[in-house]
Amino acid sequence: MPDLADGLTVRAPGIADAGSWRQAPARHLLARLRWFVARQPLGAIGAVIIVLLIATAVFAPQLAPHGAKDAAFAPYLPPSAEFPMGTDHLGRDMLSRVIWGARLSLYVGLVSVLLGITLGGLWGVITAYFGGLADSVSQRIVDSVMALPPIILALSLMAALGQSVDNVIVALAILLGPTAARTLRSVVLSLKETPFVEAARAAGGSQWRVIFRHVLPNTFATYIVLATVNIAYAIVVEAALSFLGLGAPPDEPSWGGMLTSGVQALETAPWMIFFPGAAISLTVFGLNLLGDAIRDLTDPRLRGGLG
Amino acid sequence: MHKYVIRRLLLFIPSLVGASLLIFLLLRVVPGDIAEILVYQTGSESSAVQEKQIRQIRAELGLDQPVAIQYLSWLGGVVRGDFGYSYTQRRPVTEILRERFPRSMELAFLTIVVALLWAVPLGVISAVRQNTWADYLVRVVSISGLSLPIFFTGVLILYLLVRMFRWMPPLEFVAFVDDPVENLKQLVWPTLAQAYYISAPIMRLTRSQMLEVVRQDYVRTARAKGLAERAVVYHHALSNSLLPVVTFIGWWGGRLLGGIVIMEIIFAIPGMGTALVQAVSYRDYPTVQALIFVMALVFLILNLVVDLLYAWLDPRIRYA
Repeated sequence: MPDLADGLTVRAPGIADAGSWRQAPARHLLARLRWFVARQPLGAIGAVIIVLLIATAVFAPQLAPHGAKDAAFAPYLPPSAEFPMGTDHLGRDMLSRVIWGARLSLYVGLVSVLLGITLGGLWGVITAYFGGLADSVSQRIVDSVMALPPIILALSLMAALGQSVDNVIVALAILLGPTAARTLRSVVLSLKETPFVEAARAAGGSQWRVIFRHVLPNTFATYIVLATVNIAYAIVVEAALSFLGLGAPPDEPSWGGMLTSGVQALETAPWMIFFPGAAISLTVFGLNLLGDAIRDLTDPRLRGGLG
Repeated sequence: MHKYVIRRLLLFIPSLVGASLLIFLLLRVVPGDIAEILVYQTGSESSAVQEKQIRQIRAELGLDQPVAIQYLSWLGGVVRGDFGYSYTQRRPVTEILRERFPRSMELAFLTIVVALLWAVPLGVISAVRQNTWADYLVRVVSISGLSLPIFFTGVLILYLLVRMFRWMPPLEFVAFVDDPVENLKQLVWPTLAQAYYISAPIMRLTRSQMLEVVRQDYVRTARAKGLAERAVVYHHALSNSLLPVVTFIGWWGGRLLGGIVIMEIIFAIPGMGTALVQAVSYRDYPTVQALIFVMALVFLILNLVVDLLYAWLDPRIRYA
């Protein structure tokens, strides 16, 4: 039991842990895996959940008995052998929708995080490296975006952009970008002063060469941590937006949207809320466990957070 | 302290102006302005008449002016407490705000109070009895609280209420000043649902801070001089452990406001959140703009208060 709960607590930083990611036995993939499981048992559970989720998303066409938008059956059928999760108000198979929902969630989460964290991060790296006016202006922009409560900002972006899956991705990317810019900026500000960057400059490397060859690779660990922690967040915000009826259009198989239609039929068809809700919770749970583990392994300094 | 307060206050203004500018520009990049929406939604006249109507409405609302002028006149109105006119609700936005703002703030306040009231003691117990069943229980509860998205917790509670108590959403909101009991009855479920969500990280934070603090020298000194364990825990250790909890509330203020929106929708409470979702779906931009501005203002004030409180509690900050 102590092992089980350990990975989720914010432990006092141990100096011995620093850099342990690199000390991993590198030779065998299997040995590496075993090392990870022994070191981070909770993280391993998270990894299993996420691998299953990814498999569900990738093989959705093979796994789902029906299409996500096929409204071909009687509405509000309770769970049975034919429809393990019942059917919804339009007579669509819930199991199929939950399976296709994995694909939608993961797609939105991955693309928005890649887009937002990459662009925001690059922005932060470049402005921090050059400093001066560009940096101050960029900091004020980041301040303004971060002055808006996240879901509220996402709501107003959806109001401006209109309702579609692609626009949810854009809104999420705009939401995540500033955080990445700020985090990577602080990393670069200290990297800039290190001797090896100075040496690269002294050796006559052009500014862009120094940024892309010397500075950028050293921000990678932070980038990975940011990305893993924020995928769970992006998935939850997408579900929340769809739940409020302002994210993915209602016919898309979004877990959040399914919950909303479930609320309309709370008494007659409670299975309409249980299964999509469980799917989101399990996903967030797995991503949190995995994110915690990766954070613990890569950088003890980042443990102060609460992910 | 004075210098710190002034510096922090000066930081507040550009953030607010920046946020308001951002909201303003955001809602201006929309294809199709409010005039077009109004005319195309209701009008059945020929296109020439519609063109004329659109031009007329634009002139009335000042939409034919350059964006900079529009922004300044909007800001001027905001300073005087005039947020424009809601076309879908057919009344001034200020009136909507005056009606909705207290309700949402009451919900937010209750949520924070309830969350702190049970999360902090549980976090302390979990730390003091580290690795006992009480500790595991608290940790399991907080882990589950972190993994259940707030809208799912809300919907589950709603389901139980409907199922077990035949609960119905209140037809009319009762203000606290009119009938405190009825008012709290309406707010108790959304408060508990969100407090559960927010209490999870507070518990974890309190626990980990306590674990760190009780190992420090001054706590050992307190024990060594023979203080009762209670006094050591609650007086010496806890007061220092709570500092990060204060910052946390400011940091999570944004999620708190987002959660308020969701709770209001689930439990049918006519606050700012329901108004916002409604205004967004009707594309009632003056209302959207005003509501988001007020929420950003609340968020910024919350962070300001937290920063000042923190500086007051921890002298290291204000002299840094």
